[in-house]
Amino acid sequence: MSDRTPAVGIDLGTSNSVVAVIDKDGSPRILTTSEGSMTLPSLVWYSPDGPVVGEAARDGLDHSPELTIFGAKRLLGRRFDHPEIRRLSRLLPYELTEAPNGDTWIALASGKQVSPEEVCGRVLFELRRMAEAHFGGPVTRAVITIPAWYDAAQRQATKDAAQIAGISVMRLLSEPTAAALGHGAHRGVDRNYLVCDLGGGTFDVAAVDVEGGTFEVLATTGDQFLGGDDVDRLVVEHLLRDVKNTIGFDITSDTLAIERLRLAAQKAKHELSTDASTTLVVSDLLQLPSGKSVGYSKPIQRSELEQWAARFIQRIEAPINEALARAGRRKEAIQDTLLVGGMTRMPAVVREIQRVLGKEPKMVDNPEEVVAVGAALEVARLEGRIEGILLIDVAARGLLVSTGQSDCELVIAQSAVVPTREHRVFATRQEDQPRVEFDVWEGESPESEKNRHLGRFAVVDLPPAPAGDVLVLVELTLDTDGTVRLSASELVSGERMQLEQVFHSGLARADVARLARQLAEAT
Amino acid sequence: MAPSRTLHVRCTTWEQVETFHTRKLRRGKLLSMKVPFAATLGSSVTLGLELPNEVVIAIDGTVRKSSPIEGDTKTWIEVELHGFTDEVVARIRAMAAGVEPVPAEPDAPPERPSKVALASEQLPVDERQLFHHLTTELRRMRQAAVHEVLGVERDADADQIRLGWMTLVRKLHPDLVARRKAPAITHLAEELTILVNRAYDRLRAALVAEGRANVVGSVVRPPPGWLVGFDDLASGAGSDPARRRAQKAVVTIPPVNEAAPSAVGAQGSGGQGGEAFETRARTMLQEGDPDTAQEVLAAALVVYPRSKPLRSLYYVASAVSALGKGEIMLATSQLEAALAHYEGCSEAARLLEHVRQHGQTDREALRRVFQ
Ligand SMILES: Nc1ncnc2c1ncn2[C@@H]1O[C@H](COP(=O)(O)OP(=O)(O)OP(=O)(O)O)[C@@H](O)[C@H]1O
Ligand SMILES: [Mg+2]
Repeated sequence: MSDRTPAVGIDLGTSNSVVAVIDKDGSPRILTTSEGSMTLPSLVWYSPDGPVVGEAARDGLDHSPELTIFGAKRLLGRRFDHPEIRRLSRLLPYELTEAPNGDTWIALASGKQVSPEEVCGRVLFELRRMAEAHFGGPVTRAVITIPAWYDAAQRQATKDAAQIAGISVMRLLSEPTAAALGHGAHRGVDRNYLVCDLGGGTFDVAAVDVEGGTFEVLATTGDQFLGGDDVDRLVVEHLLRDVKNTIGFDITSDTLAIERLRLAAQKAKHELSTDASTTLVVSDLLQLPSGKSVGYSKPIQRSELEQWAARFIQRIEAPINEALARAGRRKEAIQDTLLVGGMTRMPAVVREIQRVLGKEPKMVDNPEEVVAVGAALEVARLEGRIEGILLIDVAARGLLVSTGQSDCELVIAQSAVVPTREHRVFATRQEDQPRVEFDVWEGESPESEKNRHLGRFAVVDLPPAPAGDVLVLVELTLDTDGTVRLSASELVSGERMQLEQVFHSGLARADVARLARQLAEAT
Repeated sequence: MAPSRTLHVRCTTWEQVETFHTRKLRRGKLLSMKVPFAATLGSSVTLGLELPNEVVIAIDGTVRKSSPIEGDTKTWIEVELHGFTDEVVARIRAMAAGVEPVPAEPDAPPERPSKVALASEQLPVDERQLFHHLTTELRRMRQAAVHEVLGVERDADADQIRLGWMTLVRKLHPDLVARRKAPAITHLAEELTILVNRAYDRLRAALVAEGRANVVGSVVRPPPGWLVGFDDLASGAGSDPARRRAQKAVVTIPPVNEAAPSAVGAQGSGGQGGEAFETRARTMLQEGDPDTAQEVLAAALVVYPRSKPLRSLYYVASAVSALGKGEIMLATSQLEAALAHYEGCSEAARLLEHVRQHGQTDREALRRVFQ
């Protein structure tokens, strides 16, 4: 029975992914990669010998950055025309392209195109293998964490990535909630928490009240494009100028050199979290036509890094304030601030959060692993192995519908407690109208351009009748995962009606199934 | 006679209110602004001043000056707000003082409703009994008014509503029964939780909209049709979207002959004032003009924000309008809302009964209801 196989908690990160389980004795365990590391770099290198995942793919970064996909999580469920995607596409060493339905895909040099779901699917598949190695048997179920502000398309894309990896998702859990759970907030005294998770690609903030084992998420916000990668890029921008001035080479169009510089910048950034100064070294930045390689080194002060990263630091405040506003909280009412994610090791980040909240935040013991531990606890909770914990979440965004050219009409409010359900009634406008079409959006605005289009749906096979006589009741359910379910029925008779998806973002079901088969067969 | 107009001014902070009063108004009473309609001298205008606590105060005024702007559909007008009496200013001050944040001790836990433990254990152990219990609950809750779903009084305060909700969620949440590994039971639990969450969201939004609480749980902005508070009134819920957008700043209100008393909303539930509006709206409903009735009631509610009869009649009007469009579900829920606000709303009760029996209504039926 699939129900008997063990399940795991997965933190699918922008830069690093972690898989954890709760042992029989109730203590959490982080599973390790075959190299013995607790984190798996979220990297896939489409090497000439086939895709390579994790630590081994780092070589790809060095040799063929255009084939080495990092940070695919940032692309999941995103439209290609999103301004941040446009910006990213200029900065990434690999090429982004637009899928026929407007999604963001990745164009590999070989001419092949891959979806971010497929890339993330490969990372998840590797995590699944780590879990299977640990249990010595099949693992097919998991709780996967996601940024709290993920919209329905991104949630669906995550589920599709899991399905490609042969994993069925027991629950999508928001990262800050997972962090609060992993931190063991339910074991301590009741408190009002603010969780700030600053990772490689994303910044998540959540106001969570913990009371008698119940986690009540009051508000979740974040910056979808704010993370350590941005700091690395800011540093690289400065270094490019410095390289030109000191050794006289303009390497702004040399992707390989830039990638090497980025890796060195990241290393220097890590060191400057504990040391006041360090020296960045790239032994072979580029090769001269003569075959001689040119190196580059530069001493960097922590204060310099902080200056370069100022634009990054400035963006921390807004999501925090927004979370407080949505939670209806003054900052004084926050009793504990939990810092999660690798970037919170940077002293300037801690200082900024302290400045905004006027109180010293608390660095959790294991900022990179705590989210996965939370996911593993969630698995145990859902399986009934631990009792006395309940998670209550709210809708991160509103859900709207529109018909034809009409304004979007709010159906489910932002911050409505999930699961919830609302309905709309559509009447036919013409005699014998065979179908009613409507669009579903996520956002807050009556103007459709400002919302995220989730899909166009049609209620079909309407019975022939005079205009206005057929009333279709469409129910939108937002479930505990934050995913949207739709159903339609004829209002008067109550009969179920056929609902078709005319347009949708993300992969088609058949493609997901095909990719899952391919991945399973290839290994 | 040109219809009287309402200008909507929204202040999201008390500072803005202060600024509006001290800076924007000259001599405490004169307001100049650009409006998207031609205003005749001497015509009356009502200013709907929306305060940060979402209470809207109606202030009567008269147009003193009016000059069209060249090449624009807009007009500059100067309005004398004679309704901005000292009394009104005092009332606003009192409200502002009431929400002034009280500096809390930094680490003191906030006040919470008394503890409720996870209570799913209280449910029957036997699966068939549990199934039966949940089915019965579901049937009951589907018919209950929102406060009945949460098991609280009609006029429950924020703490009681939260406690009621929390108690139920901690008992019925699907995650808590999932371990029983019975899909039917998990499904029932989810359906129940949906009803409980919806009731909670509506009640807490209503509390905030009525100015009885600043925030309950998180801040939730209710969609139109959520049957609560002023949000739906101000945005003209029920009107078609294009019109709604055009009207964003200005809501047109047909003339109301009865002299509107000064803008102090009557408190308490007894004689709540606004009877003249009620009578007028009833006549309109009887004449089959629910949309105008709705606008009259919306205007009246600005003046008497706490009048339950007016509020419930507003929902009745929107139900009648929905019925006219064949939206029976919407009508039913509006009527239920009317009753939830004011049990004594006999029109709502009669109409609801009629709709439940016949589905549709006709002019004749409506006339009987509003007799
Ligand atoms: N000691 C350190 N000092 C500064 N930054 C660090 C340090 N260690 C890790 N980081 C940065 O933290 C980021 C990775 O953090 P983390 O592993 O929490 O992210 P993630 O979970 O993969 O991403 P996300 O949560 O955004 O999806 C990287 O940008 C990395 O450079
Ligand atoms: Mg993370």
